This record gives sequence, C-alpha cells and structure tokens, in this order.
Amino acid sequence: MTQNRNKLINLFIGNISNAVVHKILEEAIGVEEIKNKYYKEIKTSFDIAKYYRDKINPINQSLPKRDILEIKRRITNNVQNELILRISKGYKNISLNLVEGIVDEFLKKTRVSE
Amino acid sequence: MELVGKISKGSKMDQIYIPKNRYGFPIGNYVIITPLTRELESKNKRKPYFYNIQSIEPIKLNIINEIFSILNQKIRGYENIIITGSFLDKGFYFNDIDILIICNEELNLENLKFLIDNQIGIKPHIILINNQSLIQGLLTDPLYHSMLSKCISKKRIIYNIKPKINYKLLDLQLLKSKIVIKNFDILSGNEKYYYIQNLVAIWLFLKSKKITKEEINRKIKELFKVDIDSIKNNLLDKKMFLKKYKEIYNKTFNEIMRNIKNDTK
Repeated sequence: MTQNRNKLINLFIGNISNAVVHKILEEAIGVEEIKNKYYKEIKTSFDIAKYYRDKINPINQSLPKRDILEIKRRITNNVQNELILRISKGYKNISLNLVEGIVDEFLKKTRVSE
Repeated sequence: MELVGKISKGSKMDQIYIPKNRYGFPIGNYVIITPLTRELESKNKRKPYFYNIQSIEPIKLNIINEIFSILNQKIRGYENIIITGSFLDKGFYFNDIDILIICNEELNLENLKFLIDNQIGIKPHIILINNQSLIQGLLTDPLYHSMLSKCISKKRIIYNIKPKINYKLLDLQLLKSKIVIKNFDILSGNEKYYYIQNLVAIWLFLKSKKITKEEINRKIKELFKVDIDSIKNNLLDKKMFLKKYKEIYNKTFNEIMRNIKNDTK
C-alpha cells in the first residue's frame, strides 16, 4: 500500500513539475497566441497531476507536513533543473524567482497543502 | 405511396389521422409506422470519408455510422466529426473511441458522452475543437498531424497546411515525454507508448518527415529495436531501452534549444 502511495506521489510530482515549468515558460514568452497554447499544456499536465493526487490519501485534506516539505523540495528541484538547463542553452527571459510562488500555488490548488 | 402524419393524443389510444381521399392504404391493411426523422436521415445518409484506412471490420463501421447519427441529431452547426485513434486499428484492442468534433459552439460533452456510452456501450473520448484551433494545431503540433493521418470523417477533410515549426511549443510538447525517464517503472505499457509516440512524432516533425501513425510506429521499431506490442504490454528491457530513449530525447531537445537560441538572436 505504502509502495503504491509512493508511486502515485512520484507520478504526481512528475506531472505537477511539468505544469510549473509550462507556467514559467509561458511568462517567459509573452506572445498572446502562443500563451493560449501554453495554457492548454499547463491544463493537461495539471489535470493528470490532479488525477494522481485524487488517489493519494488523505484525499480530502492536505497531506502531512513531512510529505508536503518533501514533495515541495522535489518539485522545486525538478523545475529548477529544467529551467537552468534551458537557460544554459540560450533560452531567454526565464525567471527562476517565480518557481517557489507557483509551486506553492499549485500545491494549494491540488490540496496537497492548505 | 408514402404519407406523412402526426401522432395526436386520444382519450384511450393515441392515433394518426390520414386523409379519406387517398390512393392506396385500403381499410383493413396493415402498415408500418416509423419516425420521419429516421426515414429522412437514412435518405440523407452519406458514406463517410476514409483516410489511410485499408480495411475496417463491418461492425466497427456500423458503430461509426451510429455515432455519426447520434451526434448529427444532437449537434447543430458542426463543421465535421472525425473518428480517429486505436479504434481504427485492426482487431478489438481499443479502450475507447476518439471522436473529434469540429464546432465553433460550446457543447455539453458530458451529455454526449453519456448518450454514446449508453446507446453503443463503448466509452467515447470526445475532443471539441473549433476550426481555427485545428488549423493552428496542424500548423505547429505534430500530434495533430498524426491524429488526422488515419481517420474516418463525416464530411470531407480539406486541410492543405504546411507546418510552421514553433520551437518553443515543441519544447513544451517534448517535456511531456521526459516523464518516462524518471518514472519508467511506474508507467503502464500504454502510457509509455503514448510518450514514446510523442517523442518520435516531434523527431519526425523536426526532420520535416511525414507524420502518420504507421510512420511513427515504423520509426519507433527502427530506433528502439522493439515492436509496438512489447511496449504496450510493458515488456521492455529497461536498461537498453532507457539508454536509447535518453539519447533520442537529448538529441531532440538540443535541436529544439539550438533553434530557440537562433530565433532569439
């Protein structure tokens, strides 16, 4: 059961990290036509993450504090790695300062934290 | 001889009145009563359009016609209805039916899903898209090309669109497939197949190659030296597969990043 829970948490982290990366890249672009497309991608990753979240106990309330800290740490690492990789390859206007705020926002939206 | 009548409410039984002065239909004859809409529909029924479909089981064709008929009754002003995805592959290994409705109005998709599920007994996966978004998708998204490369549609599909590569969008599309590297052990065979397909479609798109389901599958076999059933049945050799997967993912990612860098210069 615990193993299954860990698997679901891993899948949740993978997908919510993608959603956060999408959100930050959307800010980096600023072209309206493309932003709409990014919004669709954020929604897809977010919906998949939400699907996995809905299978992780406790379902209707936030997760224990220890889990929240660990999940937040892993998402932040994933997102920063992805963004730093892009910056190193010459992708412009990416703001790493946005990461923490968006991670917190998405964790609240998925009821991982309060 | 055909007559059109209207059912009217009676006290003990409902009835249909027909004129006394008529040719045929003598008193005492038995007749068949059938709804006018169905009759008109069968007269107006056109054959669907097939795109890259070599053959299809007759029962599937009946199901498709039934879906077209249900949606035709329920949706007004749609531009096209397209059936795509694994339902069109040979055999009966599909989980649902992918239905693309091209319509500029908002629709109650839950209601349509319920109707189809209830009347046909197969779960539909309905995607509602307007014409503008479809054209935009075909311009920039390899999966749209793959989706329309093999399909059956209610009306003729006329899109002659030359793809315009938007590298920032491709970067996002590609990011989805990265999940396989970290979550290889957790993902099901079908999930893996979806992400591999996505990676290979982008790979082909970057090389301006034709993107059809067959071409994607052929390329997957060529690149990973595995057959599609092994992927779907989750029978991959993790070490060998991931080595190749990472290599192709990184090559594709680097190509996209190189172009993003050039675009911003």
